[in-house]
Amino acid sequence: MVFVPVFILILGFTIVVDYFAGIFIENSKGTRRKLFLVYSLVANIGILCFFKYYNFINTNFSFILHGFGLSNPIPYLSILLPIGLSFHTFQAMSYTIEVYRGNQKTERHFGIYALYVMFYPQLVAGPIERPQNLLHQFREKFQFDSNRVYEGLKIMIWGLFKKLVIADRLGIYVNAAYNNVEQQNGMTLMLATIFFSFQVYCDFSGYSEIAIGAAKVMGFDLMTNFKRPIFAKSTGEFWKRWHISLSTWFKDYLYFPLGGSRVSVFRIYINLMVVFLISGLWHGANWTYIIWGGINGFYLVFAMMTKKYADKFNAFTRINKFPRLLIFFQIGITFLLITFSRVFFRAKSVEDAFIVIKKMATFKGSVFNAGSALMLYSFFAISFLLMVESKKEFYTGSFSLSHHNNFWVRNSYYSFLVILIILLGVFDGGQFIYFQF
Amino acid sequence: MIRKVKNSFLQLFIVKLIAFFAVVFLSDLVIGRLLKKYYFKQESGYYYQTTYAIDKTEADILIFGSSRAANLFNPEIFEKHFNMSCFNIGRDGHPLFYHYALLKANLKRHLPKIVILSFDAGNFSIKQEAYDRLSSLLPYYSYHPEIRPIVDLKGPNEKVKMLSAIYPYNSLLLPIIAGNSAFSKTKYATIKGYVPLKEIIKGPLKTLDYTIEKELDTIKVNTYRAFLKECRAANIKLYVVCPPYMINAIGVDYSITTAKKIAQEYNISFFDYSRDTSFINKPLLFADFRHLNEKGVELLANTVIVQINNSK
Repeated sequence: MVFVPVFILILGFTIVVDYFAGIFIENSKGTRRKLFLVYSLVANIGILCFFKYYNFINTNFSFILHGFGLSNPIPYLSILLPIGLSFHTFQAMSYTIEVYRGNQKTERHFGIYALYVMFYPQLVAGPIERPQNLLHQFREKFQFDSNRVYEGLKIMIWGLFKKLVIADRLGIYVNAAYNNVEQQNGMTLMLATIFFSFQVYCDFSGYSEIAIGAAKVMGFDLMTNFKRPIFAKSTGEFWKRWHISLSTWFKDYLYFPLGGSRVSVFRIYINLMVVFLISGLWHGANWTYIIWGGINGFYLVFAMMTKKYADKFNAFTRINKFPRLLIFFQIGITFLLITFSRVFFRAKSVEDAFIVIKKMATFKGSVFNAGSALMLYSFFAISFLLMVESKKEFYTGSFSLSHHNNFWVRNSYYSFLVILIILLGVFDGGQFIYFQF
Repeated sequence: MIRKVKNSFLQLFIVKLIAFFAVVFLSDLVIGRLLKKYYFKQESGYYYQTTYAIDKTEADILIFGSSRAANLFNPEIFEKHFNMSCFNIGRDGHPLFYHYALLKANLKRHLPKIVILSFDAGNFSIKQEAYDRLSSLLPYYSYHPEIRPIVDLKGPNEKVKMLSAIYPYNSLLLPIIAGNSAFSKTKYATIKGYVPLKEIIKGPLKTLDYTIEKELDTIKVNTYRAFLKECRAANIKLYVVCPPYMINAIGVDYSITTAKKIAQEYNISFFDYSRDTSFINKPLLFADFRHLNEKGVELLANTVIVQINNSK
């Protein structure tokens, strides 16, 4: 994952291809229309596959040939993955698909179309926008709106807090544990995995919020990408709250075309697994991501298969008589299931992931103390996050510092966050995890 | 009329923005001052050790290096033999940049007679961590101009970040509280900077492949050269020492061979014990594969002293 100036040509190529594909699709009928869409999709997916998956496919091909005692004649290439490639190719594809479906008129202004693909706040890590939401905004005339600027800045500050104070802080412990899994005990790896769950959420949602806030300051509204997934009560609900722009992309452009939920139950299960396996592969060219996707697909399939038993179980244990306890229980179980799958998301290899799981299952050892300050900062960061997110999730109408009527209260709250960022933020090393996708 | 309303909105916006930055600026200033006060009030701990090394030590012998200096060189043994005062400046995980900065700060106010630089395998390897570690020197940035060019290696925006009064104390809130507590005095007690290790290594011998890392960080190599030059220019007797490792090494560490060559260029003694048979395969001398225990430390000190005497 790098920024190499010459790679702008790749972006330029997809922009030109999709710009003309859009025009040709709109001007054509029947199979020609479909053909232009296929050209556009092949160009986008081809570029993505070449840069992201060439060596991965080649490695697996070598492995298969090796099984037959043959050597692989195809050379490995030293390819650098252009920054944000997965994001802008998906955004570009959504344009041609929507034009093909007739939901979006072709953008004839080349500059505006190019801006749609390259809109800088969300170019490298999303949200993956849809043309219906973004393109028309580039044609609107803007007037300075101070409230919009305030809102944008507030969102940016909270995003920076999540990224620098929470994600990067937790990342120090997570990296120490996961870079050397053989040396760690089960309890340490368990804590590191829980920390990673918070880290990846704050890292990615933090970045999304910085992008959304920056766009808002300039007068543009980007789609919400995260809706407090920590409080999801089921894995199904989790995917409605997590990386919404990607989840809905897969739903609209892969799950529905496969038949969605209008097919037999067995086909629904297959469709879900296909979507999640491809989603895993989108996240990275490694079997760990594919397994991660598979586990999450399985969760959904399993939840559908056992739905009636779950209801019976709740009635049998009478936990449904205590709705708050039931919600707490459901949130906890969902968090643990999602966190477990993230072992594969974070581990360097499938072997490492299995070592982590095996060690965690023993519940042995004492938690590695990476320094009292780091541990205390980490727990403070998580507690602060839970406090703020709980407030937003469960107590929407009550007292709010961030939206208080008094300017000085609001001002002090955001000043406090800025001070905390300078005081406790991690400014060395750390990069946005999702950049690598 | 509309223009007037717009202008008043814009004015109000600017006033609110200024008010926000004023609150941030004042809070930053007040909290930064408080942190500074209590940072320099510490009387024990790693941070106090750095302050002492920069601003206070008058020792004749100074020992520089990472944890392999802090845990491996007992100043009392050197004091006894050379009849000179000695202080161990070594600090866990801190690279050559840090030590070069400390040397420069020291030379501004006092001239040590002997300097021992503990050198580690991989000291010249390309790792960002060495640059990140320079944040330990941020509290001294404003009043030690001689260390600024070194701290600026951390990144291109350090000068801008230093506009904040809190930034030099980033992540130091809890260590500062701990450093001002009585508990810290017992926990971080050192013998003139030396932290003895009592454990004995367990487990199988670690294998390290030195043939992999061949690329060197030229900035680190140049900093090492600068350290050597600075000592020579100040007429300080400098000894570069590479303490032993208890490992099964494949190949030779490229950093050590390069450092040796450079030391020869400047006619400076380089004592390489990294694969010395009087240490290797003697687990009773090691706390872990990188660090000697108290017993090993004594043997190392005596070996170094003999070599220093021989080299005179």
